Amino acid sequence: MKGKVSLVLLAVFLSMGLLFAQGAKEPASSGPVEITFWSLFTGGDGEFFDAMVKEYNESQNKVVMKNDTVKFDNYYTKLTTALAAGNAPDVIVVHQGNMLPYVQNGSLLALNDYVDAEVLADFQEAPLSGCISDGKIYSLPLDVHPIVMYYNKDLMAQAGITKVPQTAQEFIDASLAVQKATGKWGLAIDNTTGVYKAYTLTRLFMSMLAQQGGSLLNADNTKANFSNAAGERALVWLQDLVHTYKVNPNELDYDAAMNVFKMGDAAFYFNGVWATGTLEQSGLNFGAAPLPGIMGDEPWAWAGSHTLAVPVQKNQDPRKVEAAVDFIEWMTGHGELWAKAGQIPTRKSVTEKAEFKALPYRADYAAAAAYALETPRTPAWEEIYGTMSDMLEEAVTKKLPAKQALANMEKKINGIIASY
Amino acid sequence: MAIPGNKDTRDGLLFSLPFLIVFVIFMIFPLVFGLIISFFNWNILGTPSFIGLENYFALFRDSKFYSSLWHTFEFVLMTTPALLLLGFAMALAVTGGSPLKGVMENVFFVPYIFSMTVVSTLWAWIMQKDFGIFNQLLVATGHGPVGWLTNEKMAMWSVALTTLWWTAGFNMVLFSAGIKQIPKEVYESAQIDGASWWQVVRKITVPLVAPTTVLCLILQVIASFNVFGQVYVMTGGGPYGTTRVLVQYIYETGFKYFKMGYSAAMSYILFLIILVISVVQYLLLGRKEEA
Repeated sequence: MKGKVSLVLLAVFLSMGLLFAQGAKEPASSGPVEITFWSLFTGGDGEFFDAMVKEYNESQNKVVMKNDTVKFDNYYTKLTTALAAGNAPDVIVVHQGNMLPYVQNGSLLALNDYVDAEVLADFQEAPLSGCISDGKIYSLPLDVHPIVMYYNKDLMAQAGITKVPQTAQEFIDASLAVQKATGKWGLAIDNTTGVYKAYTLTRLFMSMLAQQGGSLLNADNTKANFSNAAGERALVWLQDLVHTYKVNPNELDYDAAMNVFKMGDAAFYFNGVWATGTLEQSGLNFGAAPLPGIMGDEPWAWAGSHTLAVPVQKNQDPRKVEAAVDFIEWMTGHGELWAKAGQIPTRKSVTEKAEFKALPYRADYAAAAAYALETPRTPAWEEIYGTMSDMLEEAVTKKLPAKQALANMEKKINGIIASY
Repeated sequence: MAIPGNKDTRDGLLFSLPFLIVFVIFMIFPLVFGLIISFFNWNILGTPSFIGLENYFALFRDSKFYSSLWHTFEFVLMTTPALLLLGFAMALAVTGGSPLKGVMENVFFVPYIFSMTVVSTLWAWIMQKDFGIFNQLLVATGHGPVGWLTNEKMAMWSVALTTLWWTAGFNMVLFSAGIKQIPKEVYESAQIDGASWWQVVRKITVPLVAPTTVLCLILQVIASFNVFGQVYVMTGGGPYGTTRVLVQYIYETGFKYFKMGYSAAMSYILFLIILVISVVQYLLLGRKEEA
C-alpha cells in the first residue's frame, strides 16, 4: 500500500513538471518579432513612455513591443528574481546606478556587436560612459536626470531679486529677502522621510562635495571621503538654512516640499528634472536652471540616468536581440518625446531637434548633463544612499554637531562598504 | 477496530494530498530554504557562498538591527494592551442591551475589512503635516501644527493609533464570541443578587472570557511583532529610521540591498523571539486558566 501512495505522489509531481514546462511556448518564426518590456514608469512619466512605445510600434512593421508597467517599489525585486531565473523580458530599464550587480553577475548582454557605430557616436560621452564596463556596452542611456533648481519668479519679483542666486551666501541673502518681503519660505529642501527618504539631502550633499573638488567616496569606492572641511561646509549650510536663518521648513518631507513650492509658498526648490512636468501643470510662474555652483565654480550635480538594457536569456534568440536594440536605438533617438516628462535627452542629434528646443524649461537645464555626477560604482550603493539620507536627515533636522555627525556617518558607511 | 475494507490511512493521505503539496511547496520549502540561505552570502544573482554563522555574528554587531528590533518592541507594547482593551470594550458594547448594537458592531468591524494600503494611505493623509485634516483643525483652533508622522516622538504613536482604528474590530469579534458563550444564568443570578454593571463585568465577564483573552493576546502579540505595512506606507521608517521596524529592515536588506543570507538570518531571529514569547505566554496564562 505504501508503494501505491508513493506512486501517486510521483505521478502528481511528474504531471506538475509537465504543467510548468508547457508555459514556455516558442512563437512562430514568421511575421513581426514580438518583444517584451518591463517599465518602472508610472503616472505622468508612464503616459509619455507608453505613447512613445505606441509610436514606435506604428513607425515600422518588423517589431512589436509589448510594454508592461511594474510598480517602482517592487521593480528591482521583480527584475532581480527574473534575471536570476533567466526569464526576464527582452528589454529592461535599469538606473545607471543600479547596473553594477547585474553586470558583475553577467545578467546583461554586451551590446557592442549589435549597436550601430553611427548611433553610438551620437551619444553624449558622460551618460554613455556610465553604461560601459571594461569596454563593454551593457546598456544605452535613455535620459539623464540631474538635480536642478526651480525658482518662483513672482516671489523673486516681490522681493526685488533680479538675479537668480548662485552661491551659498546668495541663497541665504535672497531667501531672507523673500521671507522679509512676502513672509514665504526662501527654500523648500526636503529633509524628512515620508513616502521617500530625504534623498534630496544626499543629492545636494554629494553635489556640493564635488563642487568643492571632493567626492562622497574615495576614487576606488572603498572608503567614505566626506568627514572633512568640504563635508562640514556643506552640512553646516544645510543646517543653517533650517535653524540659523529659518528660511527652510524643518520636518519637511519630499511630497510636502513639492507641494510647498507648487503652491507658491517657497522661492527656491531643488529636485530632479522629473518635477518639471508636475510643476508645469500647476500653473506656477517659475523658472528652471541647472544646479548652481553653490560651493564652487564647477556646478557638479547629482544625476540619475535611465538606461535600456538587454538581459541574458537561457535561450537567446538573435532576432529578438536585434529587435530589442532597434527599439532602444529608436527610443533614445526620439528623446524629444521623452523630454516631455522633464528628462534630458542623451543623443546629440536630439538636442539639435527643433521639437526639443521648442519645449519650455528643458532647454534651460539641458546643459546640466555636462556636469552630471556618475553614481559611485559599488554594489553597496543602495544601502549607502539610504543610510546617508537617514543620517543627514537626523543631522539636519536635529542640528547635530556637524563634525561629530560626519565622523559617525563615515564610520557607518565604511562598515557598509566592508560588508559587501 | 478498523472496518474491514476501509483503508483509512490511504484515503486520509489521498484527501489531504492536494493541500499538503501546496503547503510543502509554499510553506515548508521556503522555511527550510530560508534557514539554509541564512548560512550563506547570496545576492540572488550570483552563486551563494557558505559563510557558516557569520550572518548571525554580524547581526549582533549591527546597531541598526538592535534599533529596528527595539522599534518593533515599542510597537508591540504600544498596541497590544490598547487593542485588547478597546476590543473588549467594543465587545461589551455590542453584546449589551443597547438598541444600536447592530449598528455599532458594523461600525466597529468595518475598518478591518479595508486593506493595509488603503488604511495607511488614508491616515497618512489625515496626519499629513501641512495639509492633513488633523493639523487643519489644530491650526483653526489656534494650536501649532503637529508633526504626526515627521516628529520622532509622535510618529510611532501615530502608526499605533492607525493600527488601533484598523484592527480593534477583529478583537471585538473574538471577545463578543467569548462573551456570548457565558451562560445566561450566571448573569441572571447576579442581577437577582443586585450586582452593579461594573461588578458583573469585573467578577463575571472578565474571568469567564479569560480563554479568549489569552487567545487574543497571543494572536495580537504575534501580529504586532510582524508589523511592517503600516509603518512602511505611513512613515517609510522615518523620521531618520526612528520607526524602522525589524520586518522592514529584513525587507530592505533582502529586497533592496539583496543581502539574502543576512536578511534570512534576521528573519530566523525574529521567528525565535516570537516562538519563545508565544510559548511563555501560553505556559503562564494557559496553565493558570486550566487550574
